[in-house]
Amino acid sequence: MKYSRWLVIIPYFFLATLPLCWLLLTSLKTQEAAISSTASLIPSTAENIAPGDLSFSATLDAYRKLATPHTGKAHAFFHYLLNSVIIGLLSTLTSVVLGTGCAYGFSRFRIAGARDWLFFILSTRFLPPLAVVVPVLMMYRVFNLPNTHLGLILLYTAFNLSLAVWLMKGFIDEIPRAYEEAALVDGYSPFQAFYKIILPHSATGMAVTAVFCLISAWNEYGFALALNNAEAVTVPVYFAGLQGNIQGIPWPQIAAGVLIFVVPIAVFTILVRNHLLRGVTFGTIKQ
Amino acid sequence: MRVKDGILKYGFVGPALIFLIAFNIFPLFYNIYLSFTDAELSGGATQLIGGRNYGVIFDDTRYSTALRTTGLFVVLAVAVELLLGFALALALQKPFWGKPIITTILLVPMMLSPAVMGLYWNFILNGHYGVVNQALSVFGLFQPQWLTDPDLKLFSILMIDIWMWTPFMMLIALAGLNAIPNHLYEAAAIDRASRWTIFRRITLPLCSPLLFLAVLLRTTDALKQFDLVMAVTGPNDRATQTLSALLYQVMFRGYKIGLGSSYSIVILLIVIALASIFIRYIASIQAKQGRESA
Repeated sequence: MKYSRWLVIIPYFFLATLPLCWLLLTSLKTQEAAISSTASLIPSTAENIAPGDLSFSATLDAYRKLATPHTGKAHAFFHYLLNSVIIGLLSTLTSVVLGTGCAYGFSRFRIAGARDWLFFILSTRFLPPLAVVVPVLMMYRVFNLPNTHLGLILLYTAFNLSLAVWLMKGFIDEIPRAYEEAALVDGYSPFQAFYKIILPHSATGMAVTAVFCLISAWNEYGFALALNNAEAVTVPVYFAGLQGNIQGIPWPQIAAGVLIFVVPIAVFTILVRNHLLRGVTFGTIKQ
Repeated sequence: MRVKDGILKYGFVGPALIFLIAFNIFPLFYNIYLSFTDAELSGGATQLIGGRNYGVIFDDTRYSTALRTTGLFVVLAVAVELLLGFALALALQKPFWGKPIITTILLVPMMLSPAVMGLYWNFILNGHYGVVNQALSVFGLFQPQWLTDPDLKLFSILMIDIWMWTPFMMLIALAGLNAIPNHLYEAAAIDRASRWTIFRRITLPLCSPLLFLAVLLRTTDALKQFDLVMAVTGPNDRATQTLSALLYQVMFRGYKIGLGSSYSIVILLIVIALASIFIRYIASIQAKQGRESA
């Protein structure tokens, strides 16, 4: 029975990682090789390889082409990647700042109806984007916010606040109150106690929270699609827009772009692996 | 800490709460208002038309079809993900060489963007050059048209969802398994309990609270299914139109936001009901934790 676990793990591991390996291989192919009806598996440095061979001549062309706009698109891939980076980073920053403050308030002060507020905050995470996006769009039209980076940054901040507050509250609850009490005795003001004691002690929590906020802003599609058609288009919306392209979908370029887009997320996932459980359950389960 | 904290505490919690109310409570009520109007996305004069939108819902077969598609999708996705994830967690329960790295790699798909990965899966599942069908042809097996066969499209979306979210179930199931105290297993070994008995009387009951939590979280998420549907078939495919896809079709392709809002009220009611079950459950778990640590 000792080895029976492998009967489950090996097939699943193989099937689950195969699409990701295929992604890497595809990004090194030419369009002809990518949509050939005989798939080639082994990258090779040889120039001319007969069709039907198991190996293909590897090229970085797909990565190079990402720098030029695709047919029918106003900008190159990197333009949309930059949009994703700007929106992701700024919305993460604001959610972590507001979320940490809010979590600290709920963790340390007596606030009327605190439990109800906290559960209200959690419940906002469950709303389906498409069921709330139209009122947001109407509100944005009044303030000229559709099609702007700021519009998505504000929306993602609101969307991620529930996660940020709940995760940060879990982390701040774990910091002993005695630390701040000692600081207050030493003559710190309550705000100084927060600034000089709590913030340094919750650095790990803030980093973990930032990673989860960044990932959900980075991957978000529904809001980004509904609120944007020109200026602040993020990578998921850009890629989805390539569907039905007249010249055929440029698969090697898409594979290269997808790879560039998901590698940071994979790296972050590995960095926060010990906190993943907390992150996906809003801090309600602690390891 | 209780000194002079009157204004300060509202300074801490206030900004976040204002934000959340502006982006959640306001849209919710505005949605209800819109659902009683003939508002169009392009703007223009809007009139209150009473409950006419709600009357249309029940004549619209698209709506009942979308409800059925969403229901089927949620049940199948959550069930398969739970079973597979739990099986994987059981296989990964005991320490062995390579366990941390294997577990971490398995978790990667759930962190990726569904919209982007959904597009890429079109390439894998393509009927002509897709690698899945080419592999099937090597073994001389039947090659289904994953993306164009109306009977298979939903199944293909389901497959991608399972690929992405089985790790989520696995992660939570593993936490449940790790929390089972070892002495229970030792006592069972002394009693010469069979593996099946141990599983049924110790593992499953002690793991089930966390599994229930995982199922609730996945259900609320799967109910919103939109990204993969858009990536694989677009919003207006009869065979795969989930509620969110129908909302998108009605509001952003048909410009009927009044009508769309009335459609969204029902989906909101379902989600709110599930969310409140989730929240009560969390509250009961937290109360229990509080008692244990006290």
